[in-house]
Amino acid sequence: MNVFTVNVFTKTMRDQRRALTGWALGMAALVLLYASFYPSIKGNESLNEYFDTLPEAVRNMVGCIDFSSPTCYIQSEIFSIMGPLLLMILAIGAGARAIAGEEETGTLDLLLANPIARRRVVLEKFWAMVAATIGVGVVMWAAIAAFGPPFGLHLGLANLGEAVLAAVLMAIGFGAGALAMGCWLGKRGLAIAVVTSVAVVTYLLNVLAPSVDAVSSLQKLSPFYYYIDNDPLRNGLDPVHALVLVLIAAAGLGLALFAFERRDLTT
Amino acid sequence: MSAEPVIATTDLTKSYGRSRGIVDVTMTIEPGEVFGFLGPNGAGKTTTIRTLLDFIRPTAGGATVFGMDPHADSVEVHRRVGYLPGEFALYEHMTGRDYLGFLAALRGGVADHQIDPLAERLQSDLTVKIASLSHGNKQKLGLIQAFMHRPPLLILDEPTQGLDPIMQQVFHAMVLEAREAGQTVFLSSHALPEVERMCDRVGIIREGRLITVEDVGALKARAVRVVDLHFARPVPAEAFSSLPGLHELEVHGDVVRCSVAGPMDALVKAAARFEVLDVESHEPSLEDIFLTFYGGDGGDPG
Repeated sequence: MNVFTVNVFTKTMRDQRRALTGWALGMAALVLLYASFYPSIKGNESLNEYFDTLPEAVRNMVGCIDFSSPTCYIQSEIFSIMGPLLLMILAIGAGARAIAGEEETGTLDLLLANPIARRRVVLEKFWAMVAATIGVGVVMWAAIAAFGPPFGLHLGLANLGEAVLAAVLMAIGFGAGALAMGCWLGKRGLAIAVVTSVAVVTYLLNVLAPSVDAVSSLQKLSPFYYYIDNDPLRNGLDPVHALVLVLIAAAGLGLALFAFERRDLTT
Repeated sequence: MSAEPVIATTDLTKSYGRSRGIVDVTMTIEPGEVFGFLGPNGAGKTTTIRTLLDFIRPTAGGATVFGMDPHADSVEVHRRVGYLPGEFALYEHMTGRDYLGFLAALRGGVADHQIDPLAERLQSDLTVKIASLSHGNKQKLGLIQAFMHRPPLLILDEPTQGLDPIMQQVFHAMVLEAREAGQTVFLSSHALPEVERMCDRVGIIREGRLITVEDVGALKARAVRVVDLHFARPVPAEAFSSLPGLHELEVHGDVVRCSVAGPMDALVKAAARFEVLDVESHEPSLEDIFLTFYGGDGGDPG
């Protein structure tokens, strides 16, 4: 018997092994690219002056602007958008595909006809999504740790790990949301669309809140707030913020289990 | 039939708002029988079957499988059922063997010696990627996964679709062997001859309602068949006009066409007095069967 197909979890991992290799290489390449830019950007004073002229909201998006600091550079180039974005696309795709993808392709009937409860299928697919996201997160951490120093980017590996963990936890939260939408709606594309919209809105909410009074009170509704507000690369991950991110993922999983248990499957 | 029924439905109803769905389907499937669930496409066969597997939940009424609730005891029910869906997709990137191995693992393991003979009989190549298989070859994999763990109950939705006639014969033999082995078979079909060949009893469903459940023998006896007789010479119409069970008699010189309900005996004996060149018996269509139960304009079955 093939050891990669002993249960739904291992089979899902096997299914995504090629895609995951791609994600890992892409993440490593991204880190290498940004790291290699650093020596030429580090001493460029005009960039700093330019950033000072930008509106506050845009500066919030970038994170910090003092590129003479490696932490600041990695923070703004990798952790403010690109890193979490890659992890989120991976997690949302896996979450939406888990149930709704199989339902739309027509493979779900023969899977659920086996003596395996619906909730177990959801759970094993959830853990496969979690494992994939963590895997690419580890690659992200290792790539920054390995490719940074040759270009003068020296960072504390513990804090780097906590920042990656924050990004991974947030991505898993969105992935769990996509799993829930897929379980509820049975449509992969729709699940991705809903969760992506939520991600865009909550991202903007977090970025705009400090400078736009109308939404300033809503900032704590955004997962991005709990991801980045404590500046984990510099200060480590706030345990309370980590807990909130975990709870978001747990809520998504709970909704997925609840919705899928109660629904008719489409043919 | 004293043992507990394998499947029992009571006023099973599933509404979809429009006409699709089933209404008050009540039937029992006894241990060891081959039960045919006959009806045209869209009559509600798949809907009924999917409630038995807990893929959809009834709007009203209920069902038991081995005395268990398909929803509350779904894992236990699925353990005892081999299921072939009417429409399905397989994991295209896997080989047949990997796919069957995966499903077998979910069932706690199925020995190769239970899989390989099935694959051999159905001439299914398990080494190629599923993506490159024809519809019929995917159907064979569907059959293998349903039979491989030798479940006490087989629920097969349109099992012969996509199979060539030889494979249909193989499947027919597999069903009869399953019955020999004491397994119960519940299969759906839209083709009467197929059901007549394989099944002990037949339930006929139309527009979501179970019209009747009959022994195959009784169904055959009631079935109206159109028969063409070709004689060597013209025959007199009077020789056939008063025969029992005969309808719509047409005599055109040396050709006699008529509908026969029930036994052929009278017609054959009447024909035997003349020199018969050829006899053609046309299988009744499902619509013909329905007419015999509704006493519609197709004839009066009595």
